[in-house]
Parts: sequence; C-alpha cells; structure tokens
Amino acid sequence: MKIPLSWLKEHTPIQKSVEVIADTLVRLGHEVEGIETPRSAVKGVRVGHILSMEKHPDADKLHLLSIDVGEVEPLAIVCGASNMGVGDKIPVATVGTSLPNGLKIKKGKIRGQASFGMCCSEAELGLAEDADGLLILPKDAPVGDEVGTYLALEEAVFDLDITPNRGDCMSMRGIARDLAADQGLPLIEPSDEAVQVTESVSAPNVRVLGEGDCPLYTACRIDGIKVAASPDWLQARLLAAGLRPIHGVVDVINYTMLDLGQPMHAFDADTLSGDIEVRLAKDGETFVALDGREVSLDASDLVIADAEKVIALAGIMGSDQTGVSESTTQIILESAAFKAAKISTSRRTKGLVSDSSMRFERGVDPAMIRVAMNQASQMIISLFGGKVSETTCVGDAEAVIQDKHIQVSMQRIEARLGVDVPESANDVLERMGFSIVRDDSQADTLLFSVPSHRHDVSIVEDISEEYARVIGFDAIPAVMPPLASIKPRKVQKTVESAVEQGFVQVINYAFIAADDQRLFVPDDGRDLVLANPISDAMSVMRRSVFPSLLNTAKYNMNRQQTGVALVELGRVYEGPMSQRKEINVMAWLMAGELQTDAWYEKARKADFFDMKGAVETWLTGRGLTARFMVDDDVQGFQSGQTAKIFVGKSVVGHVGKVDEAIASQYDLDTNVFVASVNLDLLHAGKQAKFQPLPEFPSIERDLVFLFDKTIASESILQAVRKACGPSLVDAHIFDLYDGQGVPDGQVSLGIRFVLQHAKRTLTQEDSDQAMQAVIEAMKTHFEAVLRG
Amino acid sequence: MSELDALKVALKTLQDKALDEFSNAESLQALQVLRVSYLGKKGELTSVLKGVGKLPPKERPVIGQFVNASKQTLSESLEKREACLALKEKQVRIEAERIDVTLSGRTSSKGSLHPVQQGLNEMTAIFSQLGFDIAEGPEIEDEFHNFDALNIPQEHPARAMHDTFFFHPDGDEKANLLRTHTSPVQIRTMKACVDAGGEPPLAVVATGRVYRCDYDVTHSPMFHQVEVFKVDKNISLAHLKGVLQHFLSAYFEKDVPIRLRPHYFPFTEPSAEVDIACVFCHQKGCRVCKGSGWIEVLGSGMIHPNVLKSVGIDSTVYSGFAFGLGVERLVMLKYGIPDLRLFFENDVRFLRRMGA
Ligand SMILES: [Zn+2]
Repeated sequence: MKIPLSWLKEHTPIQKSVEVIADTLVRLGHEVEGIETPRSAVKGVRVGHILSMEKHPDADKLHLLSIDVGEVEPLAIVCGASNMGVGDKIPVATVGTSLPNGLKIKKGKIRGQASFGMCCSEAELGLAEDADGLLILPKDAPVGDEVGTYLALEEAVFDLDITPNRGDCMSMRGIARDLAADQGLPLIEPSDEAVQVTESVSAPNVRVLGEGDCPLYTACRIDGIKVAASPDWLQARLLAAGLRPIHGVVDVINYTMLDLGQPMHAFDADTLSGDIEVRLAKDGETFVALDGREVSLDASDLVIADAEKVIALAGIMGSDQTGVSESTTQIILESAAFKAAKISTSRRTKGLVSDSSMRFERGVDPAMIRVAMNQASQMIISLFGGKVSETTCVGDAEAVIQDKHIQVSMQRIEARLGVDVPESANDVLERMGFSIVRDDSQADTLLFSVPSHRHDVSIVEDISEEYARVIGFDAIPAVMPPLASIKPRKVQKTVESAVEQGFVQVINYAFIAADDQRLFVPDDGRDLVLANPISDAMSVMRRSVFPSLLNTAKYNMNRQQTGVALVELGRVYEGPMSQRKEINVMAWLMAGELQTDAWYEKARKADFFDMKGAVETWLTGRGLTARFMVDDDVQGFQSGQTAKIFVGKSVVGHVGKVDEAIASQYDLDTNVFVASVNLDLLHAGKQAKFQPLPEFPSIERDLVFLFDKTIASESILQAVRKACGPSLVDAHIFDLYDGQGVPDGQVSLGIRFVLQHAKRTLTQEDSDQAMQAVIEAMKTHFEAVLRG
Repeated sequence: MSELDALKVALKTLQDKALDEFSNAESLQALQVLRVSYLGKKGELTSVLKGVGKLPPKERPVIGQFVNASKQTLSESLEKREACLALKEKQVRIEAERIDVTLSGRTSSKGSLHPVQQGLNEMTAIFSQLGFDIAEGPEIEDEFHNFDALNIPQEHPARAMHDTFFFHPDGDEKANLLRTHTSPVQIRTMKACVDAGGEPPLAVVATGRVYRCDYDVTHSPMFHQVEVFKVDKNISLAHLKGVLQHFLSAYFEKDVPIRLRPHYFPFTEPSAEVDIACVFCHQKGCRVCKGSGWIEVLGSGMIHPNVLKSVGIDSTVYSGFAFGLGVERLVMLKYGIPDLRLFFENDVRFLRRMGA
C-alpha cells in the first residue's frame, strides 16, 4: 500500500519528518518497506536552456527547439507547447528517462524532424494537479542539473506492508487514524455534505437474496455524464499511490477506495436490463470479467446480476460487458458490504484478484459505505457532469456499523504482556476509535466497545495486542521464563561422524524428476507426486537419495573436482498417500579420486571397499555391527559389486557400485559408489561396557589357504570362528593373492588368528590344536588346501 | 736388560702403540676390534702377561701392577675415544636423517557439516540448554495441522500467502500438502501431550525442512525452520522477549540489540516480527538493512487462544509464546553468505569453506 505524504496530510495535520512518521508507522505495526520520492521517479529529467526556437516546417503547432542541457552539443527537440520562449529554463526528459506516467523517452522523429527528448509540464512529471504548457523554471536554475534535485521535492511516498488483519489500513484514512491517535492529532472527517439529488433520476431497484453474504447494498444512478480523462492532480495521486489512471469514472472510484478504504463499482446503466439482484450464482453460469477472462461460476459465488446475466462477481470484479467506458453516459454506482469469507473463497476458487477483493477479504469499514458513495458521486458530477438519483439502500445500515463489546480484565492483559499498562494507553486507544468504560462492579475490568473498522478485534487477546502496539514493544522488559526441568537425552551423532570420516554433507531438495526416480525405484505407483510443482525436475517426492547425490556429484565434477565424497541426511517419501511413510536415511556417494596426489602418496580412485569401510566405520561408531551379503538384484546397482547391509536381522540398506549407464548419464566416470542406511531401522546400539584387560598373553598365528574364488570370505571367517572355539579373539584376512603361482579360479587367502584365554596362558599345543581344527574345517567345508 | 725391564719396555711399547691406534680409530666398530685385540682374553696385553711366569716370584707383583695400570690407561682411553666416536656417529646420523619439515603433513581430506546443519545444531543446543525438548514432525501434512488448527481457516488471506505445494488428492480425501512451516509440530506436540493425559508446562524446539512454492533469487522452494514454543501458567510477552534476546545473542555470539515490531500472524496474539541490529553496518545503515539499521530475522508472538483450544489446552489457565525462524536466513547473516541458492547448489568448495 503506497501512502503519499500529501494525501495522508489531508486526513491528519501531521508535521513530523518523514523519518519520524516512518518509525511511528513501524512501531504501530505497519511495516515500511520503502520510502519513495517523486525525485527518484523523474530521474533523468534535467534543467534545459532554450537556445533557439523556430516553427516546425510541416506542423503549425509544433516547435523545433535547440536546448542546452549541459552537454557538449545542444539537443534538438520537437515540442508541442507554446508557453515558452528563447532563454527560458524548462525541464527536459532526456533519452532513456521513464516518466511517472509510464512514458519512456526515446529518440524519435516527429513529422520528419529528429527529436532527442521531451520538454515536460508539471503534470508529466507527476508533480502538479494540472498543467497548462511547460513548467517554466526560474531563470537561475542551473543548466544540466536534475530537476527533481533542483526543486527539492519533499513529497514522500511510504510503501507499507499492511498485515492481512488490517483491511481498514488499506486506505489513507485508516493509516491516518492510527498515526493521529498515536501522535495525539485530530483525524479529519470526510465531508458530510450530502450530494445534490435529482428526483427525476430514478434510483435503481435492488433485491438482495441471502443477506448473510451481503449485509448492506447501496446503489445510485447518475445520468448524463460525459466521461473524460480525470484531471492531472487526480491522475498524479493515483500514480503516486501505485494505480494506473484509466478514465474519469474508474479513477474516481479508485481514488475513493484509496482515500476511504471502501471499494466501489460502476456499471454502464445502458448495458443493464431490469433490476439489480445480489444472489448466489447458479451452477454453470458464466461471465466474462473485466480482464477479459471467462469465468465459470458455481453456487458458492456471490454475484451481482440483472434480469438476464451476471454483471459482477461481488466485491471482486465486474463483467467486461457492463463496464464503464469513455462513451458511457449513465452509470450505476455500487457501494456495499460483502462477507469477507465469501469474497475470499471466490477469489481463491476463481483465481481473480483485484484491489477490491484484497480489501473485502481483509475487512472493510462498513461505516464508509455511505460516505464513499457520497464522495464519489459528488466528484463524478463535479468533474464529468450528470444528475444523481437517490441512493437505494438494502440492508440494515445501522446494524452493520454496530460496535462489538468486550469485557477486558486488565490483570489478564498485564499478565499476558508482562508489563504494567499505563493509563495513557487508554487515551490512544480511544483516539483509535475504541470506547472504554470502567466497570464499577469489578475493579480491574474495562468494557471495550470495538468500532466498526476493527474487524480484527474480537477477544481479550486482541485487546492485549492493541495495548502492546500502543505501549510499544520496546517498553516490554526481557525476562527469562522459569527453566523447565531438563530431561535426559542421548545426543546421537549421525551425520557428524560421517563428516569426521571425510565426507562433505550436502542438502538437496526433497523433490526430484520422475525420470530420475525411475533410475533406482520401479514404477509401482507409490510415488508421491506434487500437484503444483515448480518444474518437472522437482515434481515427485524422492524415494531414493541417490539421484540427488549423483546430481551433486555431477555439479562438482564439472567444477574441477577430481573426486567427491558426499553424505546426505534426510528423508525419503513413499506412498500411497493414505499409507505414506517418511523414512529417515543417511546416504553416501564416492566418486573419482579419494585424495589429490601428494608427495607421500599418489591419488587413488575410490572403490567398493572404501564405500563399504565408511559405512562399517559409521555403524561401528553407533555401537552397531553390520554384516554384508551379496545382492545382485538392486535396481540401479551393478551386480557383483553390491551388497545388502544387515544389522541384526533386518536389511537396513545397500552399498555398491552405481550402474555404469546411470553414472554416465550424470557425466560421471564408471566408478561411482553409493550406500544408504535406513536410520529408522537402526536400534540404539550397544553402550560400551567395561571389561577387565586380559591378564594372559595372546598368541598370533597365520595360515594361508587356496580357496575357490567363488567362496565369500565372510563364510570362510564364519567357519573359522566355529572351528577355532572360544579362545579365538580375532580372525581376519591379512593377505589376498591371485597372481602367479595360484591356479586359475582360485585365490590364496592369508588368515591371521589371535588366540587368547582369559584364565591361563595358552600353550603351543593349544594353538596347534586350534590351527589343526581350522585346517580340517577348511578342507571339509571348502576343499581348501593349506599353502606352504 | 733384565727380564723385568724387558717386559716393562714391551708393555710400554704396546701401550703406546695401542693408544696411538685408539686415537686413530675412525669408527666404533674399529674401536671394538682394537678393544678385543688389546684387552680381550686373547689380547696382546694378556699375552704379555704370559711372560710373567718367567720372572722370579718376587718381581711378579711388580709387573702385575704395571700391567693393571696399563689396562686401566687403555680402558680409559678406549672409553674416551668411544664417547667421542659415538657423538660423531650420532651427528652423522642426524645429518643423514635431516628432512624438510616444511613439507605438508600426511592428512586425509577433510569433511564438513553443511552450514545449515551446523546452524541447526547450534540453535537446538541453545534451546536444549534452556530445557526445551526436541521434537520432530512429518513434512507431508494435512490442512488441519498446517492451517486450520493454527487458526488459519480456509478463506483466510494468510493462507494464500503461504504458497503451498499440494499433492494430487487420493480419491475423495482432501489434498495433502508439504508443510509450509514447522508450526504443525506445535499442534502435534501439544495434542500428543494432552491426549496422553498430560498438561503443560511444555517447552519444545522443533526443526526441519519446510516448503513454499516460490523459487527465485531470495526464495528457495525448500528451506529449514526452527520452531520454539513454551506453554505454562503465566507465560508473558516479556518471557518471549527474554528468550529471544538470549537466543539471538547466544547464536550470534555477541550481544545483539533486538527490536520487536507489532505484526500479524493468525496463530499468535499479540504477534511481533523480530529484528536484530544490522550485523553488517552496526546500525549505520547499509544496503542489506535498506538503511534502516535493522534486519528482520523471525516471527513470534503469544500463542493464540484458538490454537490452544484446538489442542484442548485451557487458555484461561495456560498461556504460551512461540516463534519460528528460517535457519538459512540466520546462517547467512552470521557468516555473511550473500545468496540463499548457495546452500542447495552444494558446491563442495563452498561447503568445505563454510562447514565445520
Ligand atoms: Zn546495515
């Protein structure tokens, strides 16, 4: 909402500086998004000195001017005005300037003569109400200076962000009321003088069906008007307030709306047939709105209709056919109250928004219905002539402006605000229109009457906000509340421990492209699809984090990274909607080189075991032991380099190599490894428990066998553990060799054993026995041969 | 020359020769060879003693003393030479082992927490210390939790301002949506408490991803919020101000002046937007704060009685405050990050530099 200071001053005689006014507005809850001045709007308009002036050879009313604007060469400009002469100083809009009326100055030819700018009137600069010819500047105006700067224009325009509860402040009067109340200034009431009514003009007949949605409807008829452009001052006002002038009648209506907050509408009376009816639309009824769009209506829409057709979607927009144009001579003016929720619903379902709907949705002061009608018709007849009828009024005009009453316990107000409310606050509230009466029977109770412009105030808590605004939040102390008891909680490091392992945490959007989803998830109808996505690339909720990670890898590899190690903590989402799941997952990706070349070590490409090791370490850090088993059937993964991850009895995720075709889709080389773990399936993990350190020494033994290559080391170690018995502390593969000397299809595995007994020192025989048992087990289970 | 004298001369000669050879020995190894050859069991000195048998018994002790003295001399000389050589060899070794200590150490490449995660961690830690419980909620919400229960009825203009992502409706059911704020967690937490027969005090911090159908330079369709609320008897706006002041100073690690401005949110009454003193210009006015010296950081207020009512808490007995903040915004302000989009581009150079 744009509030020009001069317009505001017509409602209250405020003399404070622009900055003080802005601060006050902010304190009252009207956020100032900016303060504009016309000075900035006429940037590029400079003081010009007329050096010569002659008649246009081909046009009587045009002049060819040569004007010095402080440049090396004077400018040649064709001008239609005649009130200037050689030696005059005038404002010149130079090429590239945009004037407040939206005109952009270009180099051009007028009747064959080149013109490099435009000489301006006050009106063209948006500075004055009317203009007769060019604005002639004082003789001593410095040539070449910005006119806006030179004239030191003080008019400021506040750009306010009006909160949706304050429909009353979407007008000059509303803002002025808050400001005046706070500053102790009077609020200037609009003229009370009734417009001269002509009996011979018949007032419109109006029927209101369903007055719940339209508690008050007023209309009058004005005959014999001659629609013209509105005067410059009015156009300038509208422009300053951010509205584009259209033509006389519409401009007056818009002006009145901005001035008093009451949206109105004007119909071309000649396009109407029969009486006016306010009713709900019939299903299937349509109308073409002013903006040219055809709208299908239904029984939830409140409409204005004549005997034949819908002429307006109530409070939102009139029909194109019945709108006022330059050729209109008789009009019907509407000023009414519509139920906010009704307007809101139609606005939403029909997708039509207007300055009118914005106000009705937020609440309009019904007390202005009559005042606005009076003001607008007065302006119309004085500007464009015509005779006004009586105003038809359907509804209870008194009832709609009835005050609400709220009983307010000051003790509750003060407890809610945490501060004592000074008596002076009541004075401000009274100036805002509340009336406050002390209840003699209850010491701390006040009886509030809420004025009709404050739709937003209906309960005690609303009154507490009014007090907070008036006292100012700065006056409220900062006090720490009593500390709640702190419940014990285990801090679980999730992504933090992956980061300690060298992974960079990334955060991706939760929605991805459907095509990307299909890379890792089958099309089983369980995608959750957005109805209104930003784009196709962000249209389905991800069921796998891998597409996001691959995208991130691609992004970084395209930016000169030689390798990436990424981790993401987030959710995946699975339908159908009625049984939807949001699953917390951790996902990893490794691609390219693990480290750059260093003097002590050459770079190495990540492989499966880097990825697996990271997941193992991460799980171990949570006190969990994982088992990995071959899984050749995971979508998007390369079989033979993919394993499912078991924790306890459940599969909590997978680790493996991304299918080459998929990797190359993301411009990645073939070695991309990923893993993911479902966090919701992980149990708490074992807490470390104290164990006495072993008293007796351990024995280390190595055995090397030839195994068939197809045997998984996990099953070998399982068999080893079984064969060795309880004295085995650790067994792991310390050597793997399938080079020269090893028969094809076989592999030589070195297994290192650590044996230890809790109660005694193990003897050579003990360990020999254990080794012998292993050798036999390997032979029976795997036909493995002991090597060397 | 008597046998004795001859022996003495031989000893002397031997001793001189040994001392000479000792001092010429160039390594500990060579010195060890000399030790054995002179002082060993089969050494030269020992062999001199073999001639003692030829002497008359009376003279034997004399020559014994003589030999012992010579042994003593040689041993001392050996030790001295040994120490000297050991030192030398150590110095040689040290020189040989000299390295370029300015070469980089063996490091593994560093990971980093995403700056948003870091912000979330820092913020939740502050509230944890104040006794706030940590809660979470679903991101796919229904209209009841995201709007209705928060006093934002269907026809409310504020609802249109939320730029909500909707899902295709499942049959006859109402379309679900992606939550537009973390406030539904307020509803869920309070309701769960009441449904379980509990009652306030409640003090909760909830974090998570939220979604708005808005995508440009200053808007991301997904971002993170932290939602904080406390419900108890006699909770006031002053308490809200106290917690905000503490939180913002703790987060920015310095005393930051704050300013509350009246505002409107359907779920709070009174409502306030909260500004901090501009961290870039120290309130002198700059481009970021548009010259005002203040930067808006979050929205807050006293929980609206309708919200308490919707979860079954008696608003005549209990009151509460709530506020919600955009994590990215606060992180940007704290670290001077100019562009929201950097957070979701996930350029590892940015993440490594900004991340902890
Ligand atoms: Zn600043």
